[in-house]
Amino acid sequence: MTAGSQMNANNLHEPAAGFDFSNYLRNQNLLQTDGAAPKLKAKKTGTTIVGTVYAGGVVLGADTRATNDTEVAERNCEKIHYIAPNMYCCGAGTAADTENTTALISRQLELLRMDTARPSRLVTAVTLLKRMLFRYQGHVSAALVLGGCDLQGPHIYQIYPHGSTAKLPYTSMGSGSLAAMAVLESSWQENMTEDMAVQLVQRAIGAGIFNDLGSGSNCDICIIKTDGTVDYRRNAVKPNELAPLRAQVQRSGRLNMRPGLTPIIKSEFKPHPVVAAGGETAMEVE
Amino acid sequence: MGDSAYSFSLTTFSRTGKLLQIEYALNAVANGRTALGICAQDGVVIATDKKLPSVLVDPEHVQKIEKITPKAGFCYAGVGPDYRVLVKRSRKSSQSYLSEYGEVQPVHQLVTDTASTMQEYTQRGGVRPFGISLLVAGLDSDGKPALFQVDPSGSYFGWNATAIGKNYVSAKNFLEKRWTEDMELEDAIHTALLTLREGFEGEMTAHNIELGIVKKDGEFQVLQPSQIQDYLDEAN
Repeated sequence: MTAGSQMNANNLHEPAAGFDFSNYLRNQNLLQTDGAAPKLKAKKTGTTIVGTVYAGGVVLGADTRATNDTEVAERNCEKIHYIAPNMYCCGAGTAADTENTTALISRQLELLRMDTARPSRLVTAVTLLKRMLFRYQGHVSAALVLGGCDLQGPHIYQIYPHGSTAKLPYTSMGSGSLAAMAVLESSWQENMTEDMAVQLVQRAIGAGIFNDLGSGSNCDICIIKTDGTVDYRRNAVKPNELAPLRAQVQRSGRLNMRPGLTPIIKSEFKPHPVVAAGGETAMEVE
Repeated sequence: MGDSAYSFSLTTFSRTGKLLQIEYALNAVANGRTALGICAQDGVVIATDKKLPSVLVDPEHVQKIEKITPKAGFCYAGVGPDYRVLVKRSRKSSQSYLSEYGEVQPVHQLVTDTASTMQEYTQRGGVRPFGISLLVAGLDSDGKPALFQVDPSGSYFGWNATAIGKNYVSAKNFLEKRWTEDMELEDAIHTALLTLREGFEGEMTAHNIELGIVKKDGEFQVLQPSQIQDYLDEAN
């Protein structure tokens, strides 16, 4: 129980208004001990994520590599998260933060949809996300590209970990964002067709996959159209298939021996005597 | 004298072992407009009489059947404002369930959760019981349809078919004769409409009743008046 919270009628802790700095002194102390305490290394996503508006909706794209410093923690993770039936969110930064933040806001939006009997709007999701991220002063390391279609049309927003947001026709975030943005800046046009937009996003993510070490493996695409339909293409492009590479490796034939190669000279079968709980052999077999 | 001398405080038992406030809450329920439910083998239907006190009341803003989770919904008989509070609370707690277990709350858990809230209000100081009985229609975790009733005391019952509110006795008798184990959802909807019409004062139209259904592998939905009209046309 932190000093800055109180119990409400439902026995749930509510944060007191404003910021809660009760851990500040503790953190200062930790940093000052001899050989300052090693900071926890969170699993980050490296990541290239991209979103663009087109004539009939929005297209979101993401790579699928999750890294732990220089090690690839997951080769095919999912970075495009469900927020609402008409909204999806790509997440860069700390994997746990992006997943849990998007899941939390998704649940809040579901409650709101039931209360208001109306589909969710992008501005609602953006506001809920930015207010939460600002409250945590950037410690929740979630950099998001939120895209979807609502009654006001198709929208793309980018949300930074500290809580600032921008509404844009196209954007990229993550360690591969520069590579992706280079592609977007050279080829983006207004009112693209769906195919043009998907091609553009795939090229942008591809630029991140091949030029940024923090991004790699496959490209996921999500198309959200103004008529409300969603086309989630998991692993839409797989430019880094491992199977053909593995097949090329020549391994010794002795590793793949079929059953029956070893001739059987003699065989004898003796069942193991069953020992009862009392320690005596209950069954003796001849 | 007698029992009524003990009816002032909820948290006091009467000499005969009753909690009178709960009995009185049940009276409030029996004054409410009829609601009924039927559990078929491939789905559940709940229906209620939405008769409005005057032609001036805008029916668009009156909603008695509410979705709580994608797989379950509530209907009630009794005091409307008490219902709103329970609906909001149950929705929130099923989102907590989703957060903790990663799956949609099955109907049985939803019922025990809600019943437990209603019971709390019969034992805590300074509050009164909810003046409603709930009908809960939903699917449990393996997709099987179920219908439950929750009373102001917090007790809950699983039913094949039941009715609450005004005329519930005659409605239940009607249902007893019509419910069969191999009933399908379409038959159940038809029967629900017939049962509702039995005790209906005046003419029953698609705008003064509400119907909610959940199919075996589907989502809970409150039917639109146009959909209700189709069923009513079939029934005629």
